[in-house]
Amino acid sequence: MDEDILTTLKILIIGESGVGKSSLLLRFTDDTFDPELAATIGVDFKVKTIAVDGNKAKLAIWDTAGQERFRTLTPSYYRGAQGVILVYDVTRRETFVKLENWLNELETYCTRNDIVKMLVGNKIDKENREVDRNEGLKFARKHSMLFIESSAKTRDGVQCAFEELVEKIIQTPGLWESESQNSRLRLSDSPDANSGGSCGGYCSLL
Amino acid sequence: MAECRVEAPGPTLVPTPETGVGGGSGREATNNNPLARKLNKILETRLDSDKDMLEALKALSVFFTENSLRTRRNLRGDIERRSLSINEEFVRVFKEVKEELEGVHEDVQAMSACCQDMTSRLKLAKDQTQDLITKTTKLQSENQRLEIRAEVANAFLSKFQLTADELNILRGPREGPVTEDFFKALGKVKQIHNDVKILLRTNQQTAGLEIMEQMALLQETSYEKLYRWAQAECRTLTQESCDISPAQAQAMEALQDRPVLYNYILDEFGTARRSAVVRGFIDALTRGGPGGTPRPIEMHSHDPLRYVGDMLAWLHQAAASEKEHLEVLLKLVTMQGVQDNIQQVVGHITEGVCRPLKVRIEQVIVAEPGAVLLYKLSNLLKFYHHTISGIVGNCAATLLTTIEEMHVLSKKMFFNSLGLHASKLMDKVELPPPDLGPTTALNHTLSLLREVLSCHDSSVVPLDARQADFVQVLSCIMDPLLQLCTVSASNLDTADMATYMVNSLYMMKTTLSLFEFTDKRLEMLQFQIEAHLDTLINEQASFVLTRAGLSYIYNSVQQHKPEQGPLSSLPNMDGGSLKAAMVQFDRYLASPDSLLMPQLNFILSGTLKEKIFKRSTELVCGAYSNIYTAVINPTNEYKEPATILQRSPQQVQTLLS
Repeated sequence: MDEDILTTLKILIIGESGVGKSSLLLRFTDDTFDPELAATIGVDFKVKTIAVDGNKAKLAIWDTAGQERFRTLTPSYYRGAQGVILVYDVTRRETFVKLENWLNELETYCTRNDIVKMLVGNKIDKENREVDRNEGLKFARKHSMLFIESSAKTRDGVQCAFEELVEKIIQTPGLWESESQNSRLRLSDSPDANSGGSCGGYCSLL
Repeated sequence: MAECRVEAPGPTLVPTPETGVGGGSGREATNNNPLARKLNKILETRLDSDKDMLEALKALSVFFTENSLRTRRNLRGDIERRSLSINEEFVRVFKEVKEELEGVHEDVQAMSACCQDMTSRLKLAKDQTQDLITKTTKLQSENQRLEIRAEVANAFLSKFQLTADELNILRGPREGPVTEDFFKALGKVKQIHNDVKILLRTNQQTAGLEIMEQMALLQETSYEKLYRWAQAECRTLTQESCDISPAQAQAMEALQDRPVLYNYILDEFGTARRSAVVRGFIDALTRGGPGGTPRPIEMHSHDPLRYVGDMLAWLHQAAASEKEHLEVLLKLVTMQGVQDNIQQVVGHITEGVCRPLKVRIEQVIVAEPGAVLLYKLSNLLKFYHHTISGIVGNCAATLLTTIEEMHVLSKKMFFNSLGLHASKLMDKVELPPPDLGPTTALNHTLSLLREVLSCHDSSVVPLDARQADFVQVLSCIMDPLLQLCTVSASNLDTADMATYMVNSLYMMKTTLSLFEFTDKRLEMLQFQIEAHLDTLINEQASFVLTRAGLSYIYNSVQQHKPEQGPLSSLPNMDGGSLKAAMVQFDRYLASPDSLLMPQLNFILSGTLKEKIFKRSTELVCGAYSNIYTAVINPTNEYKEPATILQRSPQQVQTLLS
């Protein structure tokens, strides 16, 4: 086992179609930008290792499609995610308004309460801004999310966004497991503890 | 007595002849006189210019202080005494010097003797050591030569042999860990093996061959050790998330030279990960994550789409992760076909989940969740087939074939369901409702069709496949529907049937027109509608003609043959009857809308209704035209046709438009 990697984290990127989710991911992993990037079909997957506070974490990043027709597909990918990035386009107000829906969907399908959420206002390099920075900040505060504005085109804020997210996840106790811990946990996992846990979950459904 | 030296030249105090002692001859005379001579001499002395005199006087003045007779007399003696004492002093001092000099002389003598002694000794030693020196020189040059040879030998060894450490590492204990040094040593072995070929070209062939053999043997043992280590490492990769160490990647890079071993290791890896993935899948299904969150997937088994979607999404993520692991493992491998390898191994890894997946999906499908859900499921499965084949490639991965099978099954069940629905339709044939509109069965079926066709939008299946789907769905539903309509209308009379058919066909057409690929069907439906419209138009026209009193007349006109004689002679075809009929007809002309078939009110489409009305009115005009022509025609012997038929066809047309 590679001693350097502290943990593997699963990150999800969601948001309306065309706000720049795939571009953000491409900028983060390959440091490139393609203005003609086609709409994502279903879900896309990329891996990148990042160093934060001296710890190396491997990120498995799932980039979901924003188009309506894939809405029934994407919730299945929320499972087990530790961090979620919600993206909106600062030059299109409707993408900001729709955030409420996305948050609801997240509530419904996401499997843990302590998941770290981050709001990203993308495309700040364009003119005709329709959503203020303050508005975004207020919204983020209201829903206890991290907030940052970015531009995948100019690179502004992209690296920062992912780093902050990972930092917050690592700081949240119980949200992730260190790789070496993982094996120990598995050995000490007793069937009773799990059935107790799932029983509690089932009851809460009722 | 101090003699005064007399200097010759200079102005002499020669007394002048005037003074004189004598003239020229007097001079000679003076010279002969010793006293005069002495006097002259004294007078001639130039004390000023006589340095010696000055010096002497100076010296004299040092000690001659008192000028008395005695002192003058003693002067000589004093001077001599002084001289003597000076000399004595001189002798004394000189003695010292002499003694010193003699001392120095002795030392120098001694040194000289010493040197002499040393020289002779050296000479002796030199003679004695001459041998030794030559020997030493010889040995030194030998030493240098040997050093050069040693350097060459060392260089050779370092280039063509391994150090003891390296040998230890390579030959080390079988189960020992494999480190960076191991790979360096292995690399060196390969390097040596290659370099040794140089030797073979020179005269050192024995050495070359021996070394080659040695290295080859070493390589084999190293590879074996590496293989065992890699195998053991792979067997430990049984956790859900695994980290590939750089050493493992290096091991794969090294092993690519031994394809058999390389493939074995890939197999081991695949097997280990396979059981990890299966276990992970089952856990995700039944137990969820640690501590109960996320919840087990099976909690949602009541919602087929979510259940199947969750399972397939999990598999998609697992396959993507495994592919990524393999890419890390094989990132240093440079030979061809690595991508194919990766795809094959991922296919092998995901093979394990096929059975649990298939069982569960089959359960869902066979539980007959309804046509629409089945259709959505089949689309979902097609989508994942497409997505996952992006990961496992086009090779026949079992996971892909399983998904494909499930897709085919769900499709089949879907069409079965549709067919069942259709046959149920035929079993229970409803009578058309009193308003001659579409039956509930028709509406129900059409809404089903709408649902099915609209969920087609979310499909990512390529265009031609979707078209084939559409065609199949439509033929599954539309043909029985048409049959149903026809059958259920079979007991109706002409107008009723036509109305009912038009309505039903119209509903079908409007439903279908919302979707793509329906052009052919729409065309067919349109033709059928036209056919029934024609019927209705005729019916409406007859209705009008009958109510307007012209039907008998019109029929007579149509069927009139010249051998029957003039038209006016036919029963009820005389001018009077015609006039009476015109009265009725006029009433119609006053308000044409009042003569509407009741069935027309049931037509759902305003446009169609308009069309029927308009075309039937045209037919009526045409009929009137015919009658008019017949009446005006002299052969029919109508007297004053203008009084019978007051309106011309054009007027009628204008009134009715």
